[in-house]
Amino acid sequence: MPEPRWGWLIVLYLFLGGLSAGLFFVSALATYLQRGSGPAYPRLARVGALLAPWPLALGSALLVFDLGHWYRFYKLFVTFHWRSPMSIGAWLLAAFTGITLLSFWSWLPAATVGGWVRRLPRRLRFLRVLDAPWRETLRRPLAMLGFPVALGVGIYTGVLLGAVQARPFWNTNLVAQIFLFSAMSTGCALLILVLSLRRAGLEASEARLLFSLDIVLIVLEFFVVLPYLIHGALSPLAVREAIGLVMGGPFTVAFWVLFFTLGLLLPLVLELWEMRPVLLERQTFHPSRGLAAVSAVLVLFGGVVLRYVFVFAGQVSAFQ
Amino acid sequence: MSRGVTRRRVLAGAAAAAATAALAPQLGCAPPARRRRAATPTEVRRVATACELCPNKCAVLAVVENGRVKKLDPNPLSPKSRGMLCARGNAAIKALYDPDRVKQPLIRAGARGEGKWRPVSWDEALDFTAERLHRIKEAHGPEAVLFSSTEGFQEEFFKNLGLAFGSPNILRHPTLCLASVNLAYSMTFGTVPSFDLLNARYVIMSGANRFESIITPDTMDLIEGAMNRKAKLVYLDPRFTVTAAKADEWYPIRPGTDLAFILALIHVIIEEQRYDKEFVATRCLGFDELAAHVQRYTPAWAAAETDIPAAAIVRIAREFADAAPRAVYYAGRRSSWYVNDFQMRRGQAILNAIVGNWDREGGVVPNSRIALGELLFLPWDDPTAERVDEIGTRFPLAAKGDGAFLQARENVLAGVPYPVKGWLVYKQDPMNALPDRGRTQRMIEAMDLVAVIDTQMSDTAHFADVVLPESMYLERTDPLHMLPGIWPVVVLRQQVVPPIYDTKPNLEIIQGLAKRLGLSEYFDYTIEEWIAEQAAELPVENPLEYLKQHGVYAPEGAPFYGKTLAPGYRFLTRSGKIELYSPRLAEVGHDPLPVYRPPTPIPAGSFRMVLGRKATHTHAATTNNVWLIEQTPTNHLWLHPEPAARLGIGDGDLVEVVSAVGAVRLPARVTPEIRPDCVFMLHGFGKKSPQLRLAHGNGACDADVLVTAWDAVSGNAAFHETVVTVRKVGKEDRRA
Amino acid sequence: MRERLGIKGKPRWALAIDARKCINCKACIVACKAENGVPLGKFRNRINEEHGGSYPHLRASFEPEQCHHCASPSCVRVCPTGASYQRDDGLVLVHANDCIGCGYCIIACPYDARYFNPETRVVDKCTMCVHRVDAGREPACAETCPSRVRLFGDLHDGEGSLRHTLDSRRSQVKKEQTGNHPQLYYLL
Repeated sequence: MPEPRWGWLIVLYLFLGGLSAGLFFVSALATYLQRGSGPAYPRLARVGALLAPWPLALGSALLVFDLGHWYRFYKLFVTFHWRSPMSIGAWLLAAFTGITLLSFWSWLPAATVGGWVRRLPRRLRFLRVLDAPWRETLRRPLAMLGFPVALGVGIYTGVLLGAVQARPFWNTNLVAQIFLFSAMSTGCALLILVLSLRRAGLEASEARLLFSLDIVLIVLEFFVVLPYLIHGALSPLAVREAIGLVMGGPFTVAFWVLFFTLGLLLPLVLELWEMRPVLLERQTFHPSRGLAAVSAVLVLFGGVVLRYVFVFAGQVSAFQ
Repeated sequence: MSRGVTRRRVLAGAAAAAATAALAPQLGCAPPARRRRAATPTEVRRVATACELCPNKCAVLAVVENGRVKKLDPNPLSPKSRGMLCARGNAAIKALYDPDRVKQPLIRAGARGEGKWRPVSWDEALDFTAERLHRIKEAHGPEAVLFSSTEGFQEEFFKNLGLAFGSPNILRHPTLCLASVNLAYSMTFGTVPSFDLLNARYVIMSGANRFESIITPDTMDLIEGAMNRKAKLVYLDPRFTVTAAKADEWYPIRPGTDLAFILALIHVIIEEQRYDKEFVATRCLGFDELAAHVQRYTPAWAAAETDIPAAAIVRIAREFADAAPRAVYYAGRRSSWYVNDFQMRRGQAILNAIVGNWDREGGVVPNSRIALGELLFLPWDDPTAERVDEIGTRFPLAAKGDGAFLQARENVLAGVPYPVKGWLVYKQDPMNALPDRGRTQRMIEAMDLVAVIDTQMSDTAHFADVVLPESMYLERTDPLHMLPGIWPVVVLRQQVVPPIYDTKPNLEIIQGLAKRLGLSEYFDYTIEEWIAEQAAELPVENPLEYLKQHGVYAPEGAPFYGKTLAPGYRFLTRSGKIELYSPRLAEVGHDPLPVYRPPTPIPAGSFRMVLGRKATHTHAATTNNVWLIEQTPTNHLWLHPEPAARLGIGDGDLVEVVSAVGAVRLPARVTPEIRPDCVFMLHGFGKKSPQLRLAHGNGACDADVLVTAWDAVSGNAAFHETVVTVRKVGKEDRRA
Repeated sequence: MRERLGIKGKPRWALAIDARKCINCKACIVACKAENGVPLGKFRNRINEEHGGSYPHLRASFEPEQCHHCASPSCVRVCPTGASYQRDDGLVLVHANDCIGCGYCIIACPYDARYFNPETRVVDKCTMCVHRVDAGREPACAETCPSRVRLFGDLHDGEGSLRHTLDSRRSQVKKEQTGNHPQLYYLL
């Protein structure tokens, strides 16, 4: 292409969308896993659900205002083109936004909502219904309903790119999975970061879940990214040349240093190191706030860089 | 006329039908839209006219929507444009709506070249000009005013003003362009012919970059001939141009040695008896002298001169002669190359003559004409003074009506044979058209009056005392023009939209000056009257109406070859024959047969500057056109990679080019598409006039470095005699 | 989506290009600009140049390109609002009123045929001068060309010169691997 049409705005949007999907994924998982009669990780469930709608909301707002005519975004919702990943994605996002907002509402602490409702002016008193006591009962159903939708949102950002046969850097089966696992991983990472910034830091069981989850996801990412490259190097010329963009081409440093090393390897090493007592010696686990935060930030950074490389390198790649 | 390609006929017919049927105002063809609010009806007119963006005068159908020229479509009816409109023609819209146009008469308010102008009324501007002209005439005689112009439909009025004023110093553009080739063919055949490239089987071209420098019927015929009909094209040029890319054989000939190649071809053809014996015996003068003359011009000798292998020269000679009469050595258009140019073109003409391709299909064909009427107006007394360029003595064979511009400039600067104090310029930019811009500027400084009639603030207008803005071609009706050729045509230029600004057609400007100079009686007609008289002779009903509807008149039927081959036909030469040997040349002391003289050798480490044109720009006239600048934004210095490496110059680096008369800076284009001993830069950039905002300071001006030289016989400018050195002065500007 | 090679009995418009004859004069680009109001810096068509060889054995070739009006256009497939659509006669067009300017189609086009129009703020592309075609004329680029490089016509018209040319001369299309079934034929 003579110049890239999608730029940093799209990179950020893809990242923020994946982040929301990942947050809800963890929250839903944490809601679903039970200990006794309640969720095993109530605080993860709550924090994840409260955070989940907002990154995507920000990303979508940025996106809408970047459109040619921003007010025309509604046209995405008066029609459905099943062969257009963007049309599918628009509807998925609509569903996801609805579910995460409902979930957000269902997880708001009673005290917060009660206090807010009491301060409502007379004319807006009808909003009192928001303080329905049965809010909490929606948590689990929403988590189960939203779980596949979150996965859909996480994977659709990859399908958006992967379905474009004109761009050989994107047009493989593995791109969607790369984006999905990265999205889930960034969700974990943000929760690790948010919770490790508390004075009390992460609770041990929360930390074990999050770190384990993130380690698994990072390893899965390895097992998607590396086959993507190997497969690409053994593909027809156009794909080989596209892969060349990160194997010696202009995006090499961004991919291998910033994403692969700083965004995947280093956090993996840090997290494994943190989990060392659990993995090797079966001892209790005292997560270090500092290391946890650092590895989380690296994962988030890696998520942005991954999408930067894909969006920009993809638009450079072409068939001859 | 015969046309080979069926689909072109069908489409031409359909388009013509559409054009003629659709000239009445009609509701417009707005693009289909799914939902439309009530749309304002679009008033669409189609007006047939003739383009003026280059000298080819293609027929155009201007599409006017709601009073604005929206598109220029080709008019398929003209054999001169064959249903084509080039990039420049399409871009004329942006010339019409160029915000930098001169919008009203201007009188200089500061020093010359300061760019300070006082907008004035036409009366004031014409009073000013006439008053100064009068003063000069009183003090120095009417011959002290130069009238220089470039060809155009209204040029005649300007020239007539000069003559009526009493000045013999009419300078026209052929002396900067094709005076040498025209004179050479005239002296040989008695006329300047056309070349039947459509039907030729073998075409040799020296430097005439027909596929790139200007789009003409020759371009289209050559494409058809070379690409579809498989004619062979041999092309000689120090540059690998578009024509070189399409040619069957390209030779990077040493510049200035084309005559050696031609003489060697003649040598081989005569030695091997491949010439047309009957033709030569019955219609040519001086064959024996020619045969003796070319004995020393062997292929081996020519190979050393030209860098073309001897075996190739022999082979080409044989192929050329075998293909005759459908073989032509193409004359070229702009022949302002070297100081021996006339003799080189004479060599071409002689070569064409001896293979007998004259007036035959696929050969060199004298032009057919269409008779136009003439408005009879009062004739003036011919000027009595001698011309300032002393053309009668210095270039006795040259066309006096065109003059010798560079000789004139030298004489004016020297004050001989008499002082020249006034300079009127029409549709010309001598600051860019003449070599050595500094010298032209000194010529301007010597004047008491410089008045420019132009549509834009050219560099010359920028240095003038008064600028009289002419309306752009879409705003004017002009005299009919007959374009001679194998397929002649008469074209009409009629007004498409009224003038947007306070501008006038040239005739009205001339009439305004004439009135103030007491010369009204020679210009007491309107353009409508003029055209009506011209059209009256055409063999159609209601010829003027016909022209207004169709834009052109072209006679029916196939061209007729061989008019001049009738027995007893007398050529327009003194002997009545085709003059291979020219006694007239001998009489005035020039070589009667072309004698080869090598070009000035280039010192090692220096380069010869060669010039050329591109399809997207017409000389220096279009470098402010936004659509053309978008395609060709600036110029570069072409430099071969070997000397570039030696000089440490990379592609895009800023270089300084220095000649004996000046220096310029521009980015380099390092390319193997030019001989290592040559450099090239495109003409028309590096303007000084700040009112041309896109052209001002954009690139470099070749006129700043070109030295003054001219052909000895015709006085035609010689633009390729400049030797330059090149050095790097900066790194590549990545923003450029 | 049914491949838009057209409906029998109805026209299917396409272009054939004889690039050998192209002299890179840019007439088609400027004509298109004038005919369709293309903004500065944006282009609905272009000339691909290839230069090569080593002195003095050099080559240069010129190849016009524009929207291929594919039979299976990926740009139409990916459009989320249906603004990008294809007519029965094969022309791929944009309903400007429905275009939200997301740019997905620009990226999905293997031929870089589309651009974002900064003035109208929607996506533009070569329309084959649909307003001319509907009036029985040929596109401006084909009409204006000195070399008659482009041959415009109806693939379904057995009597037409486009069909005759494509039947009697070998031709190729670009980037077949993408599966778009492009309908811009380059004569060999």
